[in-house]
Amino acid sequence: MGRTVLELMHRNRQFAAGVVLLAVVAAFALLSFFSPYNPNDSFVVPPDVPPSWAYPMGTTSRGQDLFWLLTFSIRNTLLFGLTVAAISRVLALIIGLVAGYSGGLVDRALMSINDTFIVIPLFPILVLFYFVMRDHMSWGLLALMMACLGWAYDARLIRSVALSLRTREFTETSIFSGMSTRRILVEEHLPYVLPIVFSTTMNNINWSIGLEVTLSVLGFTDINTPTIGVLIYWANQHTALVAGVWWWIFFPVLLVVLAFIGFFLLAVSMNEYIDPRSRLGRSSN
Amino acid sequence: MTTPVLAVSGLRAYYRTSAFGVKREVRAVDDVSLAIAPGEIYGLAGESSCGKTTLIKTIAAAIQPPLEVLAGSVIFSFRDRTVDIHGADRAALRDIRWKHLSYIMQGSMNVLNPVRRVRASFVDFAFRHIGRRMPEFLHIVRLHLERLHLAPDVLEAYPHQLSGGMRQRVTIALATVCRPEFIIADEPTTALDVVVQKGVLAMIRDVRQEFGSSIIFVTHDMAVHANLTDRLGIMYGGRLVEEGPTAAIFRTPRHPYTAHLIASLPRLGDLRPKEGLGGAPPNLADPPSGCRFHPRCPLATGQCRRDAPAMVEIAPGHRTACFHADRVSPP
Repeated sequence: MGRTVLELMHRNRQFAAGVVLLAVVAAFALLSFFSPYNPNDSFVVPPDVPPSWAYPMGTTSRGQDLFWLLTFSIRNTLLFGLTVAAISRVLALIIGLVAGYSGGLVDRALMSINDTFIVIPLFPILVLFYFVMRDHMSWGLLALMMACLGWAYDARLIRSVALSLRTREFTETSIFSGMSTRRILVEEHLPYVLPIVFSTTMNNINWSIGLEVTLSVLGFTDINTPTIGVLIYWANQHTALVAGVWWWIFFPVLLVVLAFIGFFLLAVSMNEYIDPRSRLGRSSN
Repeated sequence: MTTPVLAVSGLRAYYRTSAFGVKREVRAVDDVSLAIAPGEIYGLAGESSCGKTTLIKTIAAAIQPPLEVLAGSVIFSFRDRTVDIHGADRAALRDIRWKHLSYIMQGSMNVLNPVRRVRASFVDFAFRHIGRRMPEFLHIVRLHLERLHLAPDVLEAYPHQLSGGMRQRVTIALATVCRPEFIIADEPTTALDVVVQKGVLAMIRDVRQEFGSSIIFVTHDMAVHANLTDRLGIMYGGRLVEEGPTAAIFRTPRHPYTAHLIASLPRLGDLRPKEGLGGAPPNLADPPSGCRFHPRCPLATGQCRRDAPAMVEIAPGHRTACFHADRVSPP
């Protein structure tokens, strides 16, 4: 595994760039554990100080050290993306594989639910969700809600692959040899769809981070948990750009863009590691 | 004669569909009876769409709707048990499959999951049936591969790293690792060139010699049948039309269809041009009345158009379904 990653980094510049970018962002997020300040305390440092040696990213108008605040924010944002991706991947895999393998009525029922989720407009629903939940709105609840809305595209993709796997000889032989349906799905079909899932996972993380930032900037989330979006929300509340506190907006945006590019590069280069066919095809050249 | 390992009697398996109120019935296997002795290699020949694959799928009970068994029985007599395969419950089927009865599928080069190592396929298909601990199991698998002249290294390979012939041989090793008493082989040599075919056939003979398995071997390639099988069954239009010792069938075919099949093979020194059989295979959704071969048969008479001939024994172990068996001229 370690060797494969090194080899991939050596061979594939996109992968290397993605890994380096994400490593930087992740290291930054990990710094939050060493923060001298609580992210929810305000006026612990002088407000509106531009970037300097004492405050590398400056301070906010609420008297917070932006550097340390940003470590918390990016940590929560990354965790948010990973949580949404993980939950929605599980849903997409189960529904996609079962629908594709079972076919018939099960397939039709699951896919009509699936198509409903594809066509409903996400953004108004999430805003409505916020207005219904109001004070009960939390980070975890939003993640769950977005996961429930974000699985449908991939489930359809996985189903289409599973449909073709169902008629392959190795599936028939598996059935004949007496493997249970669950084992066929997990052991024979899952490895086949994993490359697709891995690359869509990265896209899904990007999608959920983007949507979370959008909702937060508009104030439609729990604004007391620091995330990148919430940070920008507070900056806007204090009219940071008008007041000339540009760093309050610049650094969060920079960091989230780096994370975006990192995930994107991984998504496009991930297949080479996951899919043994393309990996070996390459190494034999 | 000892008890046959497999006794099929009066088997009828039709594809039945009903869409928009229109019922269709394809009589893919119609009234087939045959018996296979222990240690025997039984060949099944016939043109495409004559029901070979349907027959063996039915024998293996690997059938799904719309294919249905309407009549007849398939009874296996293994060393320690007798199983009526269409009457058995799922647990009993799970017990015998792969361990006593194994199946080399058509297009079996793709039996190995392309994204998993060969070893994983062995573990998935055979581990439970052998019932040993993992190191011991892998040891058994390695010994088995060596016995079949395959390098145990193939276990660590992905299927795409193996050549077509190699994959086919691994598939056969996979189907025989539990030393099954009965093996169904559906066209295992069809996509291979003759050199590789020779290796695969030698391997199948080895399997029979080592494990004493009975094999039902399906292919439309008569040369392979001549080379490998002990007895041969010829199918036409979903029915068994002739059955007998392979040598006897090649020497004195007693059914006009078999005679044509054998006459179409090239022979040394024979300079006459080969003629194809006119007409087309019957549509099994609407088969011809009487003998299903009569529209293409040079010997057909009014009786052939009216009645379906039954299988009659015309020489010891040699059965044919033709009213005019005595008029069939040897090639």
